[in-house]
Amino acid sequence: MYNLTINGKSYSVDVPASMPLLWVLRDVVGLTGTKYGCGIEVCGACTVLVNGEPERSCDMEVKEAVGKQITTVEGLSPNRSHTLQLAWIAKQVPQCGYCQSGMLMKAAALLRQTPKPTDAQIDAAMSNVCACGTYPRIKAAIKAAAGIAA
Amino acid sequence: MTIHQNAPDPTTVSRRTLIGQGAAAFAGLAIGFGPEMAAAKKGSGGGSGSGSGSGSGSGGTTTPTGTPTTANVGGLVGTYVGNWLLIGADNTVTILCGSQEMGQGIMTGLAQVVAEELMVDWNQVKVEHAPAGNFTYADPAMRGVTGGSMSMRGYYQGLRVAGAKAREMLKMVAVARFGGSLGNAVAASGTVSVNGQTATYGALAAAAAQQTPPSSPALIGNGRLIGRSVARTDIPAKVDGSAVFGIDVRLPGMVYAAVKHSPVHGGTLSPTYSPATPSGTLKAVNIGTAVAVVATNTWAAKNAVARLTPSWILPVGATDIDSAKIDATAQTLMASGTPLNAELLGDAEGSWAGSPKRLEMTYAAPFMAHATLEPMACTVLYTPGQSCEVWASTQAPPSVVGVVTKLTGLPATAVVVHPMFMGGGMGRKFETDFVTEAVKIAMAVPGKPVKLTWTREEDMTHDFYRPMALSRVRIGLDANGQPTSWSNRIVTPSILLRFGVPGTMVDSQAVDGAIGLPYAFPSKRVDYVRHTTTAPVGFWRSVGHSYNTFVVESAIDEAALAAGVDPLLFRQRLLAASPRHLAVLNAAAALAGWGTPPPAGRARGIAMTIGFGSIVAQVAEISAPTTGALTVHRISCAIDCGIAVNPDQVTAQMEGGIIQALGAAMWSRITFAAGRTVQRNYNNYRMLKMRETPQIAVTIVQQGSPIGGVGEPGVPCVAPAVANAYAKLTGTRFRSLPFFPNAGTMGEDEGEDD
Ligand code: FES
Ligand code: FES
Repeated sequence: MYNLTINGKSYSVDVPASMPLLWVLRDVVGLTGTKYGCGIEVCGACTVLVNGEPERSCDMEVKEAVGKQITTVEGLSPNRSHTLQLAWIAKQVPQCGYCQSGMLMKAAALLRQTPKPTDAQIDAAMSNVCACGTYPRIKAAIKAAAGIAA
Repeated sequence: MTIHQNAPDPTTVSRRTLIGQGAAAFAGLAIGFGPEMAAAKKGSGGGSGSGSGSGSGSGGTTTPTGTPTTANVGGLVGTYVGNWLLIGADNTVTILCGSQEMGQGIMTGLAQVVAEELMVDWNQVKVEHAPAGNFTYADPAMRGVTGGSMSMRGYYQGLRVAGAKAREMLKMVAVARFGGSLGNAVAASGTVSVNGQTATYGALAAAAAQQTPPSSPALIGNGRLIGRSVARTDIPAKVDGSAVFGIDVRLPGMVYAAVKHSPVHGGTLSPTYSPATPSGTLKAVNIGTAVAVVATNTWAAKNAVARLTPSWILPVGATDIDSAKIDATAQTLMASGTPLNAELLGDAEGSWAGSPKRLEMTYAAPFMAHATLEPMACTVLYTPGQSCEVWASTQAPPSVVGVVTKLTGLPATAVVVHPMFMGGGMGRKFETDFVTEAVKIAMAVPGKPVKLTWTREEDMTHDFYRPMALSRVRIGLDANGQPTSWSNRIVTPSILLRFGVPGTMVDSQAVDGAIGLPYAFPSKRVDYVRHTTTAPVGFWRSVGHSYNTFVVESAIDEAALAAGVDPLLFRQRLLAASPRHLAVLNAAAALAGWGTPPPAGRARGIAMTIGFGSIVAQVAEISAPTTGALTVHRISCAIDCGIAVNPDQVTAQMEGGIIQALGAAMWSRITFAAGRTVQRNYNNYRMLKMRETPQIAVTIVQQGSPIGGVGEPGVPCVAPAVANAYAKLTGTRFRSLPFFPNAGTMGEDEGEDD
């Protein structure tokens, strides 16, 4: 039994120690906003925040998550009011939308560390894959959220 | 604005559609297009649906012809006024979308068309996927399947008429209530005003549903919504995790499945193979094409199935699916295969032989995976002898109904398909292989909903790949550098063979983008030689155009350089009699500043394509920082898609197509070794990332053309435009895709070698 703190709420999960946080979130806790894309830490679809840092949850064992603050896209804001969510809607970022949870979490971590990132910093941080090709809009939305002129 | 709920509680599931479909409708006897439904019954709409296990899936009352009149769609209860809209008492309008949403914004686009004529404001509009398998909701062209960039083309006119009919039916009721005449009744912002009184659509809907629809209502749309970049209705749910994709479905009591396919393509299991249940799981099932394990979560299922080592029965020649062998066969077929002629004008080969300057080039394109970010996923609840309910990310809901009836023996009336948001389709989710598997697994755990999720490895190694192609182009030039002949011989496997098109016929998909070119060649010959490999092939975004445009536009560029003519001018001359194409080409050139020299160290290349009813031209501006490397700085894109219903979404489709195509041109490829797919995950199937993404500028050319598609046409020009720029800059010509096959790995962050 592991006690997890996800989006400020406590959960007890009875799963093997090595089960990746991704599958705990999706199949056990029922927070399906965090996506499975590759399972090998390449695509970033599974990105969540662990104590504010972006982590690829497909390769984080549940036991490593105990005692840490886990934030998923569902916890970004209670009502789509996070500046990034507003910017994502304003710039009409998502296409299929599948990568966007991971993108938003990565962007949230970026702006927390670097409130006014340069283009190069955005490029370096946003290493997740979007198969639909929404990168230009993601970049524009991050800049809008950061209050940087396009 | 959308109504897809988050599903953290396993007792809830977001229901995309709660409407069953009638057998008669599915049999195709009643292909309705427009609000022909008149009778209405008041009904509760069915409440929370069958996820609780009733399995009926029918959330609406149904007329004897199988047409729902009231329904609960995604939690909304209202009254149908015509088949396509459901008007709630609160005056919200739910428009049903017959196409499946995979990121192309089609739910929004089709709703704009209805709402334009219906005279409602955009903020009143909600959109839901229409009931699957009910051809009442299918456009005549695609019959409910989403693909071929057909949705807007297939639905546009019909939906305008549908919106107009519903508007007139609402007006009829207002006139009956308030007096006055139809001619004086004014519909605006979801109300009808007549004879000094006004009523909302919500108040008129129930009675309006009983009116006989006018046969040819006036179309009064004036661009209030059509042509406007309204916000997409599905986007808010895609920024907070609440959008429910096929892979996200959760049902009470649900179990989870994973599969392992034969590592060698085509392998199957002996019917006598009966795997024991691995410890920590619920069941192992032999489903013929794969072994499946069912467990209490996906992770347990996939780990357990990975450990099973069944023996596979391989078809004869299975290990011939091998890149070296396939390439060698392609060379042989190029030299001596029997061609089927796809296009003929004059004596192209004779003209070529007699031309003072003769060019001959051979181009190659690899197999490619779809690599949609959401792998294949499907949830099925099978109740023996009663019903089967399917939740799937599918481009082909009607085919899903067919799969279920065939496997279960249930009538179509007992089958309910819930098309879910797709995490990318790209042509892969047109196939129903994963649905077949999920249904078979569900039949082994009757009464329990089971979700099958393919791992990325299964997804990439068991795709229906974009076929490889080997093409040889011959161009004759006269003494003035003008083309005398054009010949293109294409060796490629047939996609349509699998769908019953005989190998003795030209596969239209194989030559799409190679025939019907707008260029005025005095003689033409396009031949097709079917490659006989049994590697599984399918529809990949832009299909034949994805390699044929690379070949055609590279070859034309080579001819221009050989003739010493600017590549834009060379094309302009050949398009003198095609003003529409010329306008698009010129628009892209102008956007790119073709007439001005590029910055030092850079070069530009141009390409154009026609297909899916649209014309696209693109200019790539590149540099080559070091030998063997290439940076694309900017792609300028012009598109003529006739009517741009939502210009921002046309732009988004161009952006996305360009980005996907650039990754494909640079790095992506699938190879086979002794029957197995070599690339197993994104780490060796490289796609474009943000830091490699060029600036993209899009201009929409409006010149009164017929409506065209936008999902695919952004793809084909990228590879040739970049190759043409690279040849200009370096003198080296890429004749083989991808350009950098040895840089095809992708890591978590930095570190990929370019
Ligand atoms: S699923 Fe974790 S990085 Fe791809
Ligand atoms: S929006 Fe589809 S993968 Fe990014």
